[in-house]
Amino acid sequence: MHMADALLAPAVAATMYAATAVTVGASVKTLKKDEESAKLPTMAVTSALVFAGQMINYTIPGTGSSGHLCGGMLLSALLGPQAGFLSMVVILTIQCLFFADGGLLALGANCWNMAFYGCFVGYYLLWRPIMRSKAFKGLGAKGEGRMKIILASILGCVITLQLGAFSVVLETTVSGVTELPFGAFVGIMQPIHLAIGLVEGLITSAVLLFVYESRPELLMDVDNIPAVQAKRSVKATLVILAVLVLVVGGGLSLAASANPDGLEWSMFGNAESGYSENMGLDEENYGIASAAADTAASIQEKTAFLPDYAFANSDSAAGTSVSGIAGSAIVAGVALLVCLGGGFFRKKKAAAKA
Amino acid sequence: MDKLSLARSELREMDALAAEDSPIHRIHPLCKLLVTILYIVAVVSFPKYDFSGLIVMLLYPVLLFQITGIPVRLCFHKLRFVLPLVCAVGIVNPFLDRTPLLALGGLTISGGVVSMLVLMMKGVFSLMASFLLIATTSIDSLCAALRKIHVPAVITTLLLLTYRYIGVMLEEVSVMTQGYSLRAPGQKGIHISAWGSFLGQLLLRSMDRAGELYNSMLLRGFKGNFFYADVPPCRVSGLIYTLLCAAFFLCARVINISALLGSLFVR
Amino acid sequence: MVKFQNVSFSYDGEHPVLEDLSFTINKGEAVGLIGANGAGKSTIMNLLLGLLKGSGEIIVDGLPVNKQNLPQIRQKIGFVLQNSDNQMFMPTVYEDMIFGPLNYGLSREEAERRVDQVLDTLGLQGLKHRHNHKISGGEKRMAAIATILAMEPEMIVMDEPSTALDPVNRRRVINTINSLPQTKLIASHDLDMILDTCQRVLLISQGKIVADGDAEAVLLDKALLEANQMELPLCVQGWQRKHG
Repeated sequence: MHMADALLAPAVAATMYAATAVTVGASVKTLKKDEESAKLPTMAVTSALVFAGQMINYTIPGTGSSGHLCGGMLLSALLGPQAGFLSMVVILTIQCLFFADGGLLALGANCWNMAFYGCFVGYYLLWRPIMRSKAFKGLGAKGEGRMKIILASILGCVITLQLGAFSVVLETTVSGVTELPFGAFVGIMQPIHLAIGLVEGLITSAVLLFVYESRPELLMDVDNIPAVQAKRSVKATLVILAVLVLVVGGGLSLAASANPDGLEWSMFGNAESGYSENMGLDEENYGIASAAADTAASIQEKTAFLPDYAFANSDSAAGTSVSGIAGSAIVAGVALLVCLGGGFFRKKKAAAKA
Repeated sequence: MDKLSLARSELREMDALAAEDSPIHRIHPLCKLLVTILYIVAVVSFPKYDFSGLIVMLLYPVLLFQITGIPVRLCFHKLRFVLPLVCAVGIVNPFLDRTPLLALGGLTISGGVVSMLVLMMKGVFSLMASFLLIATTSIDSLCAALRKIHVPAVITTLLLLTYRYIGVMLEEVSVMTQGYSLRAPGQKGIHISAWGSFLGQLLLRSMDRAGELYNSMLLRGFKGNFFYADVPPCRVSGLIYTLLCAAFFLCARVINISALLGSLFVR
Repeated sequence: MVKFQNVSFSYDGEHPVLEDLSFTINKGEAVGLIGANGAGKSTIMNLLLGLLKGSGEIIVDGLPVNKQNLPQIRQKIGFVLQNSDNQMFMPTVYEDMIFGPLNYGLSREEAERRVDQVLDTLGLQGLKHRHNHKISGGEKRMAAIATILAMEPEMIVMDEPSTALDPVNRRRVINTINSLPQTKLIASHDLDMILDTCQRVLLISQGKIVADGDAEAVLLDKALLEANQMELPLCVQGWQRKHG
């Protein structure tokens, strides 16, 4: 689900960066109150472990494929949502920088899609209400805890992954990089991530169950299962969530499939022209561009050796014209020359050293 | 299980690259970070059909690869993460967008084909830029730069601490997977019976490790402050580099240099 | 320098880990702490450094170990952890070494002077700007010792300083330990190293001191060692095998 830079328009990327930055700021502020420095080593070691743990392949019985661990849910169950979120941000940053897993510009969006939902939605709407609820009362203390952990992990992974996948679709569509209608895109992404979420939830619940059996005090909201009164029952939370998912998912995809192009056009305007305006790069209105074009035209008068050799449509959308192609070839040639030149100089240097 | 050793060798590789020396390595990390972000913003902001305008942006990574002598091969290896989603999104464009954009002889090139190519180029270009950033800048100096622009100390410290322990954890996980696979020949991954205990054991041990780590901080008088070596102040060369790059990106973004060059010969 | 008086400790209140322990370590002494796994060696060290709290009294250089004195006590006692990776958490050796001195309020110049001095004495200048995750196990152990020395402690506590080292690096660590003038408390299963570095040995078994005396006397007492799940140092065994 890591997005590449290419899938985002700068304006969208900046928005997501801002959203992530605000969440980071709020998390840092909340953490300061409860002994951030004491938590730092644990956060660092656990995020390093989650990073490594995500590379373990878990065989899914009955199939030939394998699943992976869901970091956000695990970290917020162990460290709490704020510390979990910061840890996820750090993991995603390292993945982006050292492994090119997700782009630098898309980092804000990736943090939002994977860390925010996994940690905050996963914790406040699922983990905590479920762990504090009175569900599974009849199973005895241990059994009750086990069932709650399984339920919270699976629901948490499924729902947060759904939200994440939906955000990916939304961000990509708003950025205007795909011709795929919004509805069709949602139709592809959501079911795939439903399956992934189920498997990730099972794996995560297995790990959390192990921790619960051996060192329950490490998990959030576990020590006080019977003591704390839940504000809302699990049932109520589930109903709210289900309604939320239905409204958001169903409503949007209905609107999208009824009028696939209409949604994005009406909601966000023509994304492409939208963002070039945002960037202040609308070429028609750009003085430099037209001045340069004039100069070019005058030079061209003198140098053109293939006058009037043009095609219909060649002036369309910013220069995919024959001259554009010829120029691109020249640029590619220059790049090649740079490579050859660089190689030549390095060889010379190596020879001089030897 | 190969993923783990791959990750370890990639980390070592990036460390080794950042430890090398070149004019680019010596530029202030903040300048490099700024240039990289400007580059990526410029690249992704190109309109979706602007193939010829975008290709000029290729010159920046190509020049940098040549100046630093970093093998391009290492960068392309990393494409495996980025390209799948980009391709998945882009591959439908040729089918959905059949607006003819250009007719070359008998061949009509549709908008979808061009926009798919542009999308993939954007993906590859921006990846090359961030790869070049981290291949020429160590994580400590990058974090020092981030502190300079007031990124919260928690984040930079956590980044450095996590980075410090990723090597240790990867080692532990790979030793454990090795131990597992030696006793479970023919299994491709961890069997469902060990799903919980495999990482769970490691998690518990890591918690103990974190405790010991914290003790070691306390014993040395830790009161919440970390002290890192500072990066030297930004020199004029760094500023010139930043300005030159920014100017080039702006020109390339605003003027279609390819079309301009081409129009010298073709009309 | 250190005085334990009727110290007891238990994690759960039921099973005592240490029972009514009393001993003193004098200034300048090098004391080996030996005993089987789980005998209570680590607990003694953790109590001394105030990482755990038990009953009875522990006095370090005239100061009772309590919350209020901890900063002073921890400045006096340096602890070299068994796992150097857990001790060296900063990116580079230099940053790790300067961490302690700066935390204790030294100026950067003064702290840097100390770092250089320690690196010079140990012959480790080459490690100064190396990354902690890229140095070898032997280098890491030496760097960990250097980290502690940079705080200029009056006493050094070491947990298994010779584990997982090759013979050359182990010898290097032993020579370094012997060159240090500070009071030393070294916990280890490497009895040969204890024999090489300590004049006095405390043998712990099931939370009690079963022997406290001259290193050679304790470490050559086959019956005593075997009664407490230990055995003679390997060098002694080898000598016996050869000479009967």
